[in-house]
Amino acid sequence: MTTLTRGAWGYAGASLDFKTGNWRSTDKPVHLHAKAPCHAACPAGEDQQAWFALLQEGRAQDAWEALVAANPLPGVTGRVCPHPCESACNRATLDGALAIHNVERWLGDEAVAKGWAYPLEAPAGDAPVVAIVGAGPGGLSAAYHCLRLGLKAEIFEAAPQPGGLLRSAIPPTRLPRAALDAELERLLALPGLTLTLRARLGRDVSLDELSSRYAAVLLAPGCQEGKEWDVAGAVPTDHREGLALLREFMDHGSFPEAQRVIVHGGGNTAMDLCRLMKRAGSEHVTLVTASGLPGPNTAPGDLINVVPRELEEALEEGVEIIDHATVGRLIMKGSKVTGVEVVSLRKLPGGDGRTHRVAFEGTERILPADMVIPCIGERVDPEGLEGLLERGYLRPADSWGSLSRPNVYAIGDASGQSGTVAAAIGDGRRAAEALALRLAGEVPVSDARPVLEAPQLNPRYYGGGARPHVPKLPAAARDFDSEIEGDIGRTAALAEAQRCLSCGNCLACDNCWTFCPDNAVIKTQELASDGSHYLFDLDYCKGCGLCAQECPTGYIQMVPEEG
Amino acid sequence: MSDPTPSGSSMPDNPRLAELRRKHGRPPQAPGAEPPQITPRDSQPRFRGLESGHRACQGCGEALAARLVMESAGPDVMVSNATGCLEVFTTTWPQSAWRVPWIHSLFENASAVASGMEAAMKAKGKNTKVLAFGGDGSTYDIGFQTLSGMLERQHNVLYVCYDNEAYMNTGVQRSSSTPHAAATTTSPAGKERMGKRHLKKDLLSIIAAHHIPYAAAASVAYPQDLQRKVRYAMGIEGPTFLVIHSPCPLGWKHDSCLTIEVARRAVECGLFPLVELERGAVTNVMPIRKPRPVRDYLELQGRFRHLFAEDPRAEEEQAHLQALADHNIATFGLTGDAEDPADTGGAALVHRGGPLASGGF
Amino acid sequence: MREALEGSQAIARAVTLCKPDVVAAYPITPQTHIVENLSELVAEGDLHTEFVSVESEFSAASVVLGAAAAGARAYTASASQGVLLMAEVLFNIAGLRIPLVMTVANRAVSGPLSIWNDHADSMAVRDSGWIQLHCVSNQEAVDTTIQAFRIAQETDLPVMVCMDGFILTHVMEPIDLPEQSEVDAWLPPFVFDRALDPSDPKSLGMMVTPDYFPEIRHAHHAAMEKALPVIEATDRDWEASFGRACGGLLTVEGDAGARVGILAMGSTVGTLRAGMAEPGAAPARLITLRAFRPFPAKALRDAARGLDHLIVIDRAISPGAGGVVGLEVAAALAGHPDMPRLHNHALGLGGRDIPETIYADLIAAIEDTDAPGFSVFDADLSKLAPEDR
Repeated sequence: MTTLTRGAWGYAGASLDFKTGNWRSTDKPVHLHAKAPCHAACPAGEDQQAWFALLQEGRAQDAWEALVAANPLPGVTGRVCPHPCESACNRATLDGALAIHNVERWLGDEAVAKGWAYPLEAPAGDAPVVAIVGAGPGGLSAAYHCLRLGLKAEIFEAAPQPGGLLRSAIPPTRLPRAALDAELERLLALPGLTLTLRARLGRDVSLDELSSRYAAVLLAPGCQEGKEWDVAGAVPTDHREGLALLREFMDHGSFPEAQRVIVHGGGNTAMDLCRLMKRAGSEHVTLVTASGLPGPNTAPGDLINVVPRELEEALEEGVEIIDHATVGRLIMKGSKVTGVEVVSLRKLPGGDGRTHRVAFEGTERILPADMVIPCIGERVDPEGLEGLLERGYLRPADSWGSLSRPNVYAIGDASGQSGTVAAAIGDGRRAAEALALRLAGEVPVSDARPVLEAPQLNPRYYGGGARPHVPKLPAAARDFDSEIEGDIGRTAALAEAQRCLSCGNCLACDNCWTFCPDNAVIKTQELASDGSHYLFDLDYCKGCGLCAQECPTGYIQMVPEEG
Repeated sequence: MSDPTPSGSSMPDNPRLAELRRKHGRPPQAPGAEPPQITPRDSQPRFRGLESGHRACQGCGEALAARLVMESAGPDVMVSNATGCLEVFTTTWPQSAWRVPWIHSLFENASAVASGMEAAMKAKGKNTKVLAFGGDGSTYDIGFQTLSGMLERQHNVLYVCYDNEAYMNTGVQRSSSTPHAAATTTSPAGKERMGKRHLKKDLLSIIAAHHIPYAAAASVAYPQDLQRKVRYAMGIEGPTFLVIHSPCPLGWKHDSCLTIEVARRAVECGLFPLVELERGAVTNVMPIRKPRPVRDYLELQGRFRHLFAEDPRAEEEQAHLQALADHNIATFGLTGDAEDPADTGGAALVHRGGPLASGGF
Repeated sequence: MREALEGSQAIARAVTLCKPDVVAAYPITPQTHIVENLSELVAEGDLHTEFVSVESEFSAASVVLGAAAAGARAYTASASQGVLLMAEVLFNIAGLRIPLVMTVANRAVSGPLSIWNDHADSMAVRDSGWIQLHCVSNQEAVDTTIQAFRIAQETDLPVMVCMDGFILTHVMEPIDLPEQSEVDAWLPPFVFDRALDPSDPKSLGMMVTPDYFPEIRHAHHAAMEKALPVIEATDRDWEASFGRACGGLLTVEGDAGARVGILAMGSTVGTLRAGMAEPGAAPARLITLRAFRPFPAKALRDAARGLDHLIVIDRAISPGAGGVVGLEVAAALAGHPDMPRLHNHALGLGGRDIPETIYADLIAAIEDTDAPGFSVFDADLSKLAPEDR
């Protein structure tokens, strides 16, 4: 029984006795850790939003450590990656995607320059050892993640130098060897990692031997063999496959002479080749690709699979591109090619539900050519992998890279995916994580969080700002060694970090705390257990939805009450 | 039945305990009792002048505005609160949501009661600042005279009008603050009428004409700006006035989650200009980065639904409201020359770590 | 020290002796001289108070409400329309149980407009929950004003000191004003334990649901009943200190054995005393009602016991019912044995002069067995059109 006070005065704050939480009729607010789209799109599995968040606070080293939790080679990917993260960036709907790629490169270089140590401890002396075949980006990533997970790693590489196609196929104009070596050296010097060079699978070491001696085997051999290529059965006698030409150029610095070159394909190898041959003196270099150039007539899935800026630079340099087309016929003089017949085509859905390439009669035209180079992909060198290959590739059974043979995993280009450096790095991480868990008797679980889409953001809370200017060598000054793209620098990198929208993740902006009319959002001094700075006091939350509506990042969502 | 003390402990009858309670503002612990647990709520890095457990509707703009005001004004304040929603939803005996000394007397006398409180503070040589709170009913209409008197007598009081543009407490009747053409229960739209026939009273100009040190308009959509204005007014010795645009989801008929969005659009379209006047002269405005059509503001609210009917009068009234907004923009020079960190776009920006971390407001 | 002072001036001096922290008032005839005198005392530095010159009586009452709630000794004064404009606030002050003091310079209520004395104003707010004390003379008004501050803070109730407009407020009389030191010793400093204070924040004026409202009203009524002995004791204590009393709840004088009694409030009592003192005047028992609220029903019955007739004089009427005091006296005596027959007359409405001969006339009127239970005694019906009589 409450005793009435004289004149019915009340104690301060006694309203806490009145729990308004039971006013909520349908929905309550929750913190929903959605994936930022950059993170969801990153083949390497980087959480760009997470490391940008640290960079926003000026904590560059912490940001780098968060980055290398997924990708140990930011200096490399920051140069060569086609950055699907930027294509997915929600900021693209506002004023242009974040320059994630350029900031990543700056962070990677900064770590090298400052000598920041990789955030991992040496594995225990008796830690299980994992064998890794191939010291390309996938193998290196796998080795690194084994170390992070407390395992030792031993890499077997057929080539005399580590790096795989980073060294053999990517021109120094895109990836200067100094930058590559700096990062590789730091990585390879990590305790617990052993690298054996000139050790070729099937010749110097066998899979059976590895399987028996090591806790697990990760296969990252890459694709070394050019695919068979012909046009309606015709193959020129001087036929050269694109990747082989590129490798040769890396080794010897020269191309076969040709004035009119047709490159047939549509990936980064084709693009690198076109640009290098043009620079090497070929008068006309024409890329014929079945995909489309960016524009209104090209669906996102039909877009040419090259780094957008590479495309831009190629056009600057005078490379010609014929898109939505294929080489329909080789014009031969004897066994030598003198031209090609190009025909327009489109990838269209057929009656069987699959996509078919349909060439359109009447669109044929003849182009003179004295060299036709196919760049239609490579396949796995089968040596030492007998019985494991399926239609030319190691085709893993799951996203962890597991092969049919126990404790053997496939990583990178050899697993038959559309290979990028970042994808290989991601494969390496996932395989290492899966095997570490399985060695511990656990089961790996995929991150099934939803992706935060642009409409879930409240864009009014973000300031405008243009992408940073990226310094670039003028087309005329480009040679075979100088890096074409420059560094954006610390100031621009830190400024760019401020443009990150923090999609789906708490920005700690205080909006929910500020706007709750019911004082039902509590700010915590330390991080709340869900990783934010805020708690919902559901004893008082009336479920108005203001916090969710005004959350800039979509981190707060209204969900139905249980029960 | 609950006890009126927040912790549920009984009233202190021990004088020493009573003294401690006075000193520390929270119920005392009996000797030997477990020390009170400091909850996250207790350790909020802001002053909780208006506590949870009040009975405002979901998404109440007025509750939010009052909470924001208290954070910036407290704790050395006392409040005189006019009758209205704010008074009713915060103080159903014995559950007061206020953590500052607070008194409600009547609908029309908050200013006069505040004058008396301020006189008492002066007489006793104390510096506690007196705040007076009222809705638009008590400010624009029934308590207008006592407000004018308080301003004229130069009482050191900050008067805050929570403007939700109708008599919400009694069921959404029109006030002199209700915008032109808005439908209320006493200005309904019908065959012969398009909502309120008259204009919204230009109260701020009238207030400013008292030549007081500071009179300003703020909006719940711009909390940092609002709190800056409160702090500025708190620093002034003399009468100051703040009118805060505070959407009412029930009365304006919009979803409870849209309170901020509605308030923001009111500012962005020019219908509720955020201006500051000192000694009668306009000294600052929040520039509108990109003026929004009034239609964008109206379309969110059921009280303007009749303005979207197939009816030439609806079109005319929309045009009228647009003209009023344009007039405000022209009169106060609300369009900035260039983007400004303090304009409607800049003032909304958030940063990682919030306003406290960025060293802003 | 005795000084010749105008009633209003004496009140201003008495208020000054009580050292109010806050005074708020709005001028209205016949209260104006009180406000003017207070202003002068402030201007001369004799009264250290926050003097708030408000824009209406409504605000005057609100200001003193706020001031007292904030822990200040507060005072206001008004009359007539001013009291009615205050009405809403007066109810609120009492309901919130806020102690403060107000002087009412009683005046008729418009319309038609009359600036002259009767009791319609304070009677209009008799149900507001204030203590109402009526003064016969300016000396009583001075003494009652000082007592009122003590009664208010002892009971947590506001006190209205009623004095007849013009008849007292504007009349010069020798007044014995206590010394400041004497008042300081007699009147404790103002303490209000529910005062607004940031170091112990309380909420005053909360909304009370039907679950608690009857109890709140009961408590207010009980507080008024408990104020009866406080009023009496305060006056006794005053008498002990200053050698004169103000009449407690009520006083009885005249011929103790008389069969006829006359009951009145305020300055009319002085006129009746003079009439009674005339040679050959009929004997009567004169009952002076000082406390109208709380109403001292028991004391009244004791005073009226043994009378055959009791003439109750009213200075205000409740049209359609009768004299306000008369009705209340009737209610107080009803159902008790040995109670006199009542004769209720309104007198001197709107400032009509009450001559000394009224005493004899009133007693004579007892014999008129046809007379109605209530009349406006001094109304000359010939001044009215027949249909308005």
